[in-house]
Amino acid sequence: MDLYVAAFGFGLVGMSVIAIAAVGFTMQFGITNMINLAYGEVMISSAYVAYYLNKAGITIWVGMIAGAVFGAVFSFLLNRVVYAPFLRRGTSHIGMVIVSLAVSLMVANLLLPIVGYYSVSYQDTTGGLIRAGGIVLTTNQIAIIGVAVVLMLLIHGLLRYTRLGKAMRATAANPTLARNCGIPTGRVIDAVWLITGALCGLAGVVAAMNSDSFAIANGAGFLITALAAAVLGGAGQPYGAMIGAVIIGMVTELSAAAWSPEYKEVVAFGILVLVMVLRPQGLLAKRGALAAAG
Amino acid sequence: MKFQTAARNRWSGSQAIPVAALIVLAACGGSSTSGGGLGSGDLLVGVIAPFTGADAGLGPAYYAACLAAAPEINNNGGVGGRQVKCQQFDTRGEPADAVPAANQMIASSSNLMAAVGCTSDEAAAVAPIMDRAHLPMFCMTGQSEFNKTTLKYFHRLVPADVYDAFAMVGSALFGPNHAPYKKAALVFGDDIGSQAFVQPATNAFTKLGGTIAINQPIHLNASSYRTEVAAMLKANPDVILTEALGSAGTYLKEVKTQNGGKMIPFIGSSATIDPVWFQQVRDAIGIDDLLKYYAGVDLGYTFSGPAYAEFLTNLNAAATQFADAPKYKQRGSTLHLYDGIIMTALAMVATNSADRTVYNPKIIQIANGSSGATVVNTYKDGVAAIKAGKTIRFVGAGGENNFDQYNNSQSGYILVGYDKDGNEVQVGQLTPDQTAKLIAAGG
Repeated sequence: MDLYVAAFGFGLVGMSVIAIAAVGFTMQFGITNMINLAYGEVMISSAYVAYYLNKAGITIWVGMIAGAVFGAVFSFLLNRVVYAPFLRRGTSHIGMVIVSLAVSLMVANLLLPIVGYYSVSYQDTTGGLIRAGGIVLTTNQIAIIGVAVVLMLLIHGLLRYTRLGKAMRATAANPTLARNCGIPTGRVIDAVWLITGALCGLAGVVAAMNSDSFAIANGAGFLITALAAAVLGGAGQPYGAMIGAVIIGMVTELSAAAWSPEYKEVVAFGILVLVMVLRPQGLLAKRGALAAAG
Repeated sequence: MKFQTAARNRWSGSQAIPVAALIVLAACGGSSTSGGGLGSGDLLVGVIAPFTGADAGLGPAYYAACLAAAPEINNNGGVGGRQVKCQQFDTRGEPADAVPAANQMIASSSNLMAAVGCTSDEAAAVAPIMDRAHLPMFCMTGQSEFNKTTLKYFHRLVPADVYDAFAMVGSALFGPNHAPYKKAALVFGDDIGSQAFVQPATNAFTKLGGTIAINQPIHLNASSYRTEVAAMLKANPDVILTEALGSAGTYLKEVKTQNGGKMIPFIGSSATIDPVWFQQVRDAIGIDDLLKYYAGVDLGYTFSGPAYAEFLTNLNAAATQFADAPKYKQRGSTLHLYDGIIMTALAMVATNSADRTVYNPKIIQIANGSSGATVVNTYKDGVAAIKAGKTIRFVGAGGENNFDQYNNSQSGYILVGYDKDGNEVQVGQLTPDQTAKLIAAGG
């Protein structure tokens, strides 16, 4: 029983990390209608930015902010320099997926000679150990949970209570109508790439902290987990992505406690497949806050 | 329109015959040269190994071997004047990716002299392909299926994994500076290569009085191992036997974290004698804990003598092409594959042939030697001896080779650790009696 309680605690950390990544990914898709397969590589690039700062003696918490800024700028430029020109030429949706896949491969291979293929670790990111009722977490893991909660509240506030959030929702629902109503959809899209890019960068640093040791090859794994949570919750639904993150984060850890750990991802993704079979639109079926633009 | 279509079809059919013939020839992977003589043009050594994926740390060690061997040959006249080049063929550590990589290597390179690499991740898939192409290969696989292989072009310069597993158990039971460990956690990656250790280690450890506290196959490159480590600690082992390349840092740091900042002794396979592994684990748990709690096993290298000196010179020079090359100065696989390439080149010179079917059998003759053979340690000395009409035995940077009838060359193990700079340090040796006990128990 102790092991399941401990696994539940670890699941809280896992779902927090996944939630940050998945909400960024699903917002990006929901508003821009772009499945950005380079998301994982932006995450890992941001993790390396924080790593080099950390190596230079800067605390990882500052590195996390730097990672978020890098992710925002990188994603913004990626859209402006690569994706937007293709979209202007009328590239099909599947064509854009292929373009983002190509970008993902290029980023990974450009990074490889710079950062090397071997794993690296942040320094002093463990923190003290706290035990409470069978749950064993480090102070930094608790901080990661806190960061995720604050970010989710901020995203909720942004979408529900700000003009930008309302403009994002309008752009997601119907970009043509939004434009005709006077919403500067171009600037909204730019803002979306900056905000989701920041989430992506921050998620990369948090995921790398969570892994203790990370390498360039982890980018693909980051993407798959974020993608799975986003799809499970309902593509384009930030609240759905949060629910997806909870399920995948918890199931992964609890199944590792219940069965052989080599199957933990199999179990998590098995549930994803099952949900997709029973409810192809994802858990949040209603076209709510951010439906994919049509 | 009909006439044009028919004409085009007839034209296509006539062209198809030579094209099909070319494809068949390429697929058959015929030897590079069918007649005698060493030919002309560059020769290629294919480094077929994981360069990306979970086992991406393996390929560079083998590439470094080739980059060191090439100048050793080229600066001493080449192979009958032909220069040796190295090319990577990435298997990603997956059979599904390895097969097309092997086919591409064979089909696209008519000047292949040998292939090196082929780890346990992909050897079972690619070795038969290379054998059909009559391509001499030096594989870094420990899989038992190659213990009695019938593949004529397969060569293995390291023992089977089963012996690596026995040595790890030997370190746990008979190693210096600690009482015999009695409860072991087996933490091996879920890849083919790592899982090959589990059964022989379990057999040997339990039959010699130990208990397996937990057998935990871990998914390589997972984002975390918190629950796995919690389960492992709950089993309360007094030692961890492990090979989880790429994930060792993540796992071991979690052990230290959850165990209140204290490590548990851990014993690694010979693959953990590796600069990349050292760096990962050092960064994760700190150098002090790595030096204190780690023990490893390795083949008994001297890291000295004329062959090693020549290897080291060439390896350091290879830094201009591959900056990390000098880091592999004590990596057993790098030494062995370097020797394998030199032996292949000497076999070509000795047979005066670039025909792989002709020089392949000569490789083992040069490695094992024969009565009265002149022992040579460098390519230059080997060529000089051959030209003087002598038969030779090549004893290279990795030491003597003794191939059996299944093209396996094996030697004994030593117990090792690291120093603070990542250099291997011998801490003990298993006695013949201990080794016999382990093999008998392991079955």
